[in-house]
Amino acid sequence: MNFHLLLRSALDDTLGPTLAAFRPELALCATIVALLVVRMFLPRWRLGPPCVAAVGVIVALVLAAPWHYLSSVGMDRAVPIFTGMLTFDTFSVFLRSLLLLFVLLFVMFTQCSGVPREESATEFYVLVLGATVGMCLMVSANHMLVVFLGMEMASLPSYVLAGMMRHERRASEAALKYAVYGAGTAGVMLYGISLLVGALGSAHLPTMAGALADALAAGPLGDRAVVLMLGSLMIAVGLAFKLSAVPFHFWAPDVFEGATAEVAAFLSVASKAAALGLLVRLVVGLGGVADPAGLEALAPVRHYLGILIASLAAVTCTFGNLAAYGQTNLKRLLAYSTIAHAGYMMMPVAAMAFLMGRDPAGARAAAAAVVFYVSIYLFMNLGAFAVVAFVRNATGSEQIDHLAGLIRRSTGLAVCFAVMLFSLVGLPPLAGFAGKFAAFAAVYDAGLISLLVIGLVNTVLSLFYYLRVVKVMALAPESEEHPAAEIPLGSTPGVFCLALTVPLVVWGIWWNGLFTWAQAAAALLVP
Amino acid sequence: MSLFTQPIGLTHYLVVGAILFAAGVVCMVTKRNAIGVLMGIELVLNGANLNFVAFANPALRADPGRAVAWMDGHMIALFVIVLAAAEAAVALAIVLSFYHNHASVDVDEADELKG
Repeated sequence: MNFHLLLRSALDDTLGPTLAAFRPELALCATIVALLVVRMFLPRWRLGPPCVAAVGVIVALVLAAPWHYLSSVGMDRAVPIFTGMLTFDTFSVFLRSLLLLFVLLFVMFTQCSGVPREESATEFYVLVLGATVGMCLMVSANHMLVVFLGMEMASLPSYVLAGMMRHERRASEAALKYAVYGAGTAGVMLYGISLLVGALGSAHLPTMAGALADALAAGPLGDRAVVLMLGSLMIAVGLAFKLSAVPFHFWAPDVFEGATAEVAAFLSVASKAAALGLLVRLVVGLGGVADPAGLEALAPVRHYLGILIASLAAVTCTFGNLAAYGQTNLKRLLAYSTIAHAGYMMMPVAAMAFLMGRDPAGARAAAAAVVFYVSIYLFMNLGAFAVVAFVRNATGSEQIDHLAGLIRRSTGLAVCFAVMLFSLVGLPPLAGFAGKFAAFAAVYDAGLISLLVIGLVNTVLSLFYYLRVVKVMALAPESEEHPAAEIPLGSTPGVFCLALTVPLVVWGIWWNGLFTWAQAAAALLVP
Repeated sequence: MSLFTQPIGLTHYLVVGAILFAAGVVCMVTKRNAIGVLMGIELVLNGANLNFVAFANPALRADPGRAVAWMDGHMIALFVIVLAAAEAAVALAIVLSFYHNHASVDVDEADELKG
């Protein structure tokens, strides 16, 4: 192939399907530039940064067009874009739109709560949008380079966001811990990728799966199996860090406590959703190929990945719930709850790995359960962190004990918070129940009964520490020196919390619409 | 068959990469100075980079036919170099902010958040 032909084919690929599919990310990049330009020319426009960010995200959301792609006429096959670096399918459309929706809600949230301060607003939104671009790459990764680059693009701005309050001792400590652990695990992951890429002779996920299937079909792997296992374990280190899965969870409580509640919400929802999307991509990418003989040959790979993810999920879930008991700080409690939820959300991924070869429909249902749970988790966790931020603004405290009397002073907000917490437990008739039900149903379908039992026991365990918060809010006597926050439901923060609570109640009863979209998101994923 | 008597091949590069990786991990774990930890991270990244470039060299491979593979390796190495620079910039800025608040770059000083 000569240079001219190479250039022509690259140009055709870029101008054809690629640019059309990549428009949301391009819109985000344009918004970042616009934010910086606005700061340069209109430095005194107070509402400038949030307005520009919100408009940019809305444009990106319109360009992502989930209502078109996820409808029955939307898409019939996955399209590889950028010569196979990314894959554009309903799964990436769904998760991308979810991330963009989250960022839109997040911009509103930061405007309600008044963090970031005016002078650092531009930097704050630039970092948030930059991280979002990285996350969008993560959920559509089809190549090991994009896997690594996407993760780093999402991580680097997050390190800075954690230390945004740079005059606070605890914020700089949180940022240091996050950056050091994050960069270290990313380095280990890169080394793992180099082993895997070297052993399989390619960094393109489908090509890697093909090479793996050929090697497995030809006979036992011998020494290569050790290299492959080592490489995949090292990649698991990096992913476990992003997912805050045990034993790489220790940064989460510290960072959440040291950073502002707003940043903690961003890390706990967006970063988790993207990491989960990437995990699904890697499992599907390495564990599945299109032709049936190869799919059969890859069974040991799927088994290995399934066992690895299932054991990580079980340990993460149990540890998160047990460690949440002794907490007195609300953000720390929510951090451990985030860890536990990462465990719950990894369970259907493990189920998908086990189901992929033998029951494609079941595997699709498991993938649908993952994205369904993530979309519900977005609302309940963002809501919980929003309440923490608003209470902090009113009283200056993030202690659980200082919530005492909230039910009397701001009844509506306390009820909203209780609904969010009950939804996090997974009590019917709230949306959290629907999410957990779908996830556990997938685990049951895969025949992972012990994992199912661990999940159910954990759900019961988690009830108590969430209930403790509700109990303090509703029953504990209000102390003299720490009066509860007074936030009427009619104020802007109150309306924001209510807007996040309503979907939880509505989806708890009518979850068919959302679940249909989740099924559409998973439809093209599993071969 | 000792590595020292063979002509230079893929294995030699991988051994150097593994030594860099191990040195980096030891450095990350044992250094108490934040700058030292960051240097360990750089070593790990460069160990991985050496692997990529070695795997990508067609002269070192048993099956030089996979043209796609060696493009991948060089490309990843280039991106990782850029990324390591960005990461060092961000991490050093954070270390500086930590120094302003704690008057120290000792990672053991970061002990206020726990539980």
